[in-house]
Amino acid sequence: MISRRDLLKEASFAAAAVGMVHPVLNWAADQDGVSALPGKEGMIVRSFRFLDLEMPTEFMNSWITPVPHFFVRNHMFEPSTLNAAEWRLSVGGEVEKPLTLSLADLQKIEAHSVTNTLECAGNGRAFLNPNVPGVQWQRGAVGNARFSGPRLRDLLERAVVKTTGKHVLFHGLDDVPGKVPPFIRSIPIEKAIDGDTVVATQMNGTPLTKHHGFPARALVPGWIGAASCKWLSEVKVLDKEFEGNFMKPGYRMPNRTIEPGGSINPEETHPITVLNVKSVIASPNDGTTLKHSPVPIHGVAWAGEADVAKVEVSTDSGATWNPAQLGSEDAHYAWRLWSYSWKPAKAGDYVIMARATDSQGRSQPQTAAWNPSGYLYNVIDQVKIRVQA
Amino acid sequence: MSKRSGFVEIVIALVGLTVPWLWGQPPPPSDLPLGDMQGKARTACLECHDGRIILQQRLSKATWTKEVDKMTKWGAVVDPADRDALIEYLSVNFPAGKAPEPAARVLGQKKR
Repeated sequence: MISRRDLLKEASFAAAAVGMVHPVLNWAADQDGVSALPGKEGMIVRSFRFLDLEMPTEFMNSWITPVPHFFVRNHMFEPSTLNAAEWRLSVGGEVEKPLTLSLADLQKIEAHSVTNTLECAGNGRAFLNPNVPGVQWQRGAVGNARFSGPRLRDLLERAVVKTTGKHVLFHGLDDVPGKVPPFIRSIPIEKAIDGDTVVATQMNGTPLTKHHGFPARALVPGWIGAASCKWLSEVKVLDKEFEGNFMKPGYRMPNRTIEPGGSINPEETHPITVLNVKSVIASPNDGTTLKHSPVPIHGVAWAGEADVAKVEVSTDSGATWNPAQLGSEDAHYAWRLWSYSWKPAKAGDYVIMARATDSQGRSQPQTAAWNPSGYLYNVIDQVKIRVQA
Repeated sequence: MSKRSGFVEIVIALVGLTVPWLWGQPPPPSDLPLGDMQGKARTACLECHDGRIILQQRLSKATWTKEVDKMTKWGAVVDPADRDALIEYLSVNFPAGKAPEPAARVLGQKKR
């Protein structure tokens, strides 16, 4: 019979052996991309480099999206070195008094909070036919968070914008690989001085994490995510719209309808700004088989600068529509939770659809406005489920 | 004769079985598929990108051509003599209409 001492001794040998295999197991996990990323949990990995993480629809069950579940869209490498004490934000260009602000300076300026649904312009790109190049986002390149920081307007007032100032450029500290153009975009001065456009230093009440733009990012509410430049280092007032790669030919929509698979001259396009009305079914999941009992259907809906007026649900492939109940939590730029309780009459296969309408009467289309980069996909969402007898 | 109970031998045997099993698995999903241009595609694409971003594309040859030319302009290392073969490799392995690549998930925070 083995003694306790021998058992301990042998256990230590065993531990050493397990220790040998552990790195191999870790290697396998890392190569599969299913291991870990500090600060993020349960995300769909579209790419580790550059980091692009999508939120599974199962997390679209809370009005405020926790930071660990908030999508990440990086065009390039995250800044390799970021020291909060040394970081500075310059405000210059068409201004009378250029500024250089530290994080402490920003924190002395009155903070404003905006609960905003941030969505990548390419969310839903994967559903386009034919496919288009880019990160193949499905439903979850979107999240709703409370962003806080000084109003951009307050910074621009201190710098005193000249009458020649028409656009405001944001430059981030992304580490640029090769000859890739730097990530620089601009917004019109009218949006820049809107009281809800902020230089955010906080997200959901805590300092921004690196994945989300620490120490400060622009937050342009109701607009595509690309407008809200992360790791902000420069605000520059321009006398015209910036024309770098991420403004032109990047992030533009055709001025006219084009056939799926077609192409268009950049001169016949315009920059994307505002998000459109959209809803996503969070549950049930596509392809689910359920027991024959009441089926709770729920999801989220948002509408850019407009409000969500209503969400309707169809359980018969779009033949008939029923109003969903909107959640009580509401803010101008924030998504609304919605729910609908459905009692299937009989077992069978069903197509469930959700359709949102905004406060200006715009509703989601049945077919996509196909465009070569796959922007602003907002086709009526649908899931196919089976109800068992 | 060893006085061991066999416990360590069992663990070592398990390790011995596990390691070859792991090494015998298919290539990691983030790697590019086999082919004459695999090495050069790695050089051109994976210098900056995770292979996943390539694996998830489903594009026509015309669109792959635009992508390769854009990336070359942005610094991807592609010998002009290899351009057409690289486009062919990508077009054949990731054509329009092919079933989507399953995406992996981050399961949680790594213990350190």
